[in-house]
Amino acid sequence: MAQVAELARPLLSPQEERIERGEPIGLVSEEAQRKRARIHRMLAGFRDKPIRMNLERAHLLTESFKQTEGQPVIVRWGKALAHILRNISIHIGEDELIVGSAGPPGRYAIFFPELEEKFFTQEARPSEPDDSLVLTEEDVQVINEELKPYWEGKQYHGAFINALPDDTRRILELYCIIAPTATARSSLAWNHDYEKVLKRGIKGIKAEAEEKLASLDPVNPKDRVEKEPFLQAVILTCDAIVEFAHRYAKLARSMAKKEKDAKRKKELLEIAEVCEWVPENPARTFREAVQSQWLIQTVSRLEQRIGGTVGNGRIDQFFYPYYKKDIEEGRLTKDEALELVECMWIGMAQNVEIYTAPGSLSFTDGYAHWEATTVGGVDKDGKDATNELSYLLLQSKKEFPLNYPDLAARIHSQTPEPFLHAIAETIKEGTGFPKLFFDEEIIPLFLSKGGTVEEANDYCICGCTEAKMINHDAVSTGCAWTNLGAIVEMTLNDGKLKLFGDQQIGVSTGNPRQFKSYDDLWHAFCWQAENVMKHTFTQQYVADTLKAKFIAAPMCSMLHDLCMKECKDIHDGPIDGALYLGFIDTLGFATAIDSLAAVKRLVFDDKKLTMAELLDALDANFEGKEAVRQMCLNAPKYGNNDPYADSIGRNIEAFFVKLTRKYKSAFGGELDIRYVTITAHVPFGAVLGATPDGRKAGEPIAEGVSPSQGADKKGPTASLVSIANTKASGYKERAARLLNMKLSPSAVAGPEGTRKLMSLIRTACDLKMWHLQFNIINKETLIAAQKDPEKYRNLLVRVAGYSAYFVDLTPQLQDEIIKRTEHAF
Amino acid sequence: MDVWGRDSSRPLRGCMNSQTRKDKRSADVGLIFNIQKFSLHDGTGIRTLVFLKGCPLLCTWCSNPEGQCFVPELAYNRNKCIGIHECDHCRPLCEMDAITHAADGKVEINRTLCNDCGKCVDACPSKALTLFGEYITVPDVIRIVEEDGSFYARSGGGLTLSGGEPISQPEFSTNVLSTARSRGIDTAVETTGFCEWDAVRSVCEHANQVFFDVKSMDSEKHRAGTGVSNELILENLVRLRKEFRKLRITVRTPVVPGFNDSREDIAAIADFLSRLPIPVQYELLPYHGFGEPKYQQLGRKYLLGDVKPPSQECMATLRRVVISEMNLTRTEA
Ligand code: SF4
Ligand code: SF4
Repeated sequence: MAQVAELARPLLSPQEERIERGEPIGLVSEEAQRKRARIHRMLAGFRDKPIRMNLERAHLLTESFKQTEGQPVIVRWGKALAHILRNISIHIGEDELIVGSAGPPGRYAIFFPELEEKFFTQEARPSEPDDSLVLTEEDVQVINEELKPYWEGKQYHGAFINALPDDTRRILELYCIIAPTATARSSLAWNHDYEKVLKRGIKGIKAEAEEKLASLDPVNPKDRVEKEPFLQAVILTCDAIVEFAHRYAKLARSMAKKEKDAKRKKELLEIAEVCEWVPENPARTFREAVQSQWLIQTVSRLEQRIGGTVGNGRIDQFFYPYYKKDIEEGRLTKDEALELVECMWIGMAQNVEIYTAPGSLSFTDGYAHWEATTVGGVDKDGKDATNELSYLLLQSKKEFPLNYPDLAARIHSQTPEPFLHAIAETIKEGTGFPKLFFDEEIIPLFLSKGGTVEEANDYCICGCTEAKMINHDAVSTGCAWTNLGAIVEMTLNDGKLKLFGDQQIGVSTGNPRQFKSYDDLWHAFCWQAENVMKHTFTQQYVADTLKAKFIAAPMCSMLHDLCMKECKDIHDGPIDGALYLGFIDTLGFATAIDSLAAVKRLVFDDKKLTMAELLDALDANFEGKEAVRQMCLNAPKYGNNDPYADSIGRNIEAFFVKLTRKYKSAFGGELDIRYVTITAHVPFGAVLGATPDGRKAGEPIAEGVSPSQGADKKGPTASLVSIANTKASGYKERAARLLNMKLSPSAVAGPEGTRKLMSLIRTACDLKMWHLQFNIINKETLIAAQKDPEKYRNLLVRVAGYSAYFVDLTPQLQDEIIKRTEHAF
Repeated sequence: MDVWGRDSSRPLRGCMNSQTRKDKRSADVGLIFNIQKFSLHDGTGIRTLVFLKGCPLLCTWCSNPEGQCFVPELAYNRNKCIGIHECDHCRPLCEMDAITHAADGKVEINRTLCNDCGKCVDACPSKALTLFGEYITVPDVIRIVEEDGSFYARSGGGLTLSGGEPISQPEFSTNVLSTARSRGIDTAVETTGFCEWDAVRSVCEHANQVFFDVKSMDSEKHRAGTGVSNELILENLVRLRKEFRKLRITVRTPVVPGFNDSREDIAAIADFLSRLPIPVQYELLPYHGFGEPKYQQLGRKYLLGDVKPPSQECMATLRRVVISEMNLTRTEA
């Protein structure tokens, strides 16, 4: 009988349909275009604008630093930030309602001379006409003649490298086994406690600092040497932030004077009034709340580079009281609220992240940044927190075409059906939003790590997949990525990597051809892994203890309860009472599982191959050994709910969490095991030889906690169960597990499809996933986009914890996304 | 006509082998050719589809040709074969000398010599050679089905027996469904309806939903398209409706251009359904040609290669016909 499981023609997602129709970028529905014409105008041609480099911040920072040589680090940074905020050029764009920018008009990237070591070691050159980043002759001159001479020898990175033990330095400098990220950014992804500013105003924080300063013990040396400079820096920063806002107010007033158009004139005067009031004072209206939050974000961008940039926190929670009041009192409509937040989205999209620090290049492809924005979840009391604003933000995500901000929805066992429905409908749009996080996994884990019930319930998403308890968690040093694929290769190569010939990189674990059993192989793997982890722990320890000598962040610190309590900079750990939930990313989880499973099955269990035959084939990169490769490809694979592979995965995870449980980080925290690759699985794979999972040399390793590209043949339910099965649930030393799932639009078509997607999400919550994100897209579309980038330049895809324009990705990453299994059924 | 009441002018080679090979099927052991999880279009919620092998019909448009005959069959996927220069593992193993080298460096299966013994399958590294058909016990089916239990709980899904024709293995199917149901799993069956009534009754008794194919009201046409006439099918549908008054029955018609895509064809079916004493749901499914590669893999010819799926307009027209014939107020079609 005819079993018709699929529709006859490929169905397109709404995003694919828009591209087929050749629509230019803009709000997606006609109704939205009409109601928010301002936003639609601001979006026109947005992505055509070149990216300009903001060197002004670097120049002002350097100018200030030259004046403050020898002073306490926190004071130097306070003065520098104040100098920047008082002198950096500001502008208000046409149509803008929410003002504040950390760079020149249009799209811009910020140059951080305290971090950009690569610009100094390699010759900076002006950009070519085709480059998306504009670097003029003058820019290059500033870099080479002003910045470089000052910063050389004064950067955190150089000191970090010098301070490492020799063996750790050697392995780090290979950049493909362990990639440190500590010195490429001043801070990990971070979320400020914006609510504090909204409720108390900068004025309130300044008053707190002044009070503290007055009550310091004038004899106590700790108070004098540590606390006093901190509080002085905070006061300086508070004043500078208020002045920064007032500069915008002044500019708006002077523009209003010249403005002919009466409507715009009025808008400019309103901008002036708002900026005269916030962030200095507590916000009174929704508009003031949005403006206040946005200015804090803008200052944060100028203060320090936060990896993945600064997050938005639970904005459906802290904006809600203002929204509700304004709506009730007739001051605001839903469309006006959308217009205000979308002005802010555009501000976020203008700031592009360009990493040039060594080793970090191409680890985050597609100009990745995540202004993670959390909606839904439970409130501090554990009750569902969804409100009207949560729905409105989802609506904006459906209609606003840019990939900013990165919307994250928290799902819990009692997420209301209509909210889940709205989430599923937004996912079906096909742009990869929102990504999902599951309270049922994250909250208990945070409790076990020492969060209070309220803090754990109130976590927000931060960065691509991290979660944070914002006033308790204080880990700010970028964590390292480790390459499980390299560990596999060293296991099968007596501690060497083919790329580096005979150089002994790992420990010597013996000639693999002599391994008698799977146990021998497993022990060798564990040794190699332990050795790599040793270096990972070490470099993190060094980075943690060294950073505070170079970097301080007065604004970031003054917004953190514990830093204010202790009068200590956030980077200057340990801070009393703080949790240090650091982590180590283990990349290529599925590659390692599948490789070990293949050797176990083919060599030791079924004896279809000898170890020598397998290793010879790997050495030959499977050339002329296709039969061996096919056996490898058809061996048991993680992601299919196959206990053979999954139990190996469980053992790998258990090995790492047990190891990390034994040691503390420099500030007494833990280093949890995390599976988040961003896009590092591409460069990490590029340096490796062939692996026993059938992967050829140079191909990417597996991503996040997802099954290897194309290996999950049994559908999404089996993948989810596999992921649940490999988790070391009995341990708390765990962190984010990133999971990508590709579904074809036909699988979730119509109202029936929405319901099924909803139940899939509910089950993922039952299975206690950490994270889940979808690409609802046809493979054909991706292939077409590779061939015709012009037509598909607005095509958004989920990469790894974020959405990016497909055409902005490297060809290798594009291939990899195409290869991810598409579940149709 | 053969033992299955099938037109023997189009015999299935594999089934010829079934005359000579031992049938291992029983009430506890069934022959299946696939278990597909995360199935979204065959019943409520997220389901697991168990495909039983063997079917008394021989529809020209069948998209699961590997489900037609009642014994395991060798399939050869030429695209996956890595060729004799890299491999050649299979050929020396074949006792029937059914495998030969082909001009393109791959192999060729001589289907008259091959007896589907499966010896070559284990040796093939790339799974270019596979055996469609696996004997499986009732507890094993249930175990695999229950792996997705949490998804059924959330989506209202469960187990759907499909095929092939599940009722052609009546005792096994009855056992699987009754066991599943006793363990709280929602059950559904997809059937051609071309089986003895006792078997239909025994299996459907344990199903919460039955998908029942009606392909044409014209018996001659039906025979031309499927190899059998439609009387037994229609009779079974009426009896099923009468005896299981509360059963959810969904009648399905695959709309195949050139066979039953006229308004008259569909109107006749809709008319017949509207006369049933208790209403049934009715669905039209557009024909698709996705099964074609599997014909090649089985060494068979696909007769509908030139047939295009029905247009969206055609489907819309036919759906309107159904709505008016059955006096439906909402779009159940
Ligand atoms: S199934 Fe048996 S007879 Fe057929 S080709 Fe393979 S080995 Fe030969
Ligand atoms: S064993 Fe498989 S891959 Fe090898 S030649 Fe035979 S069919 Fe091809």
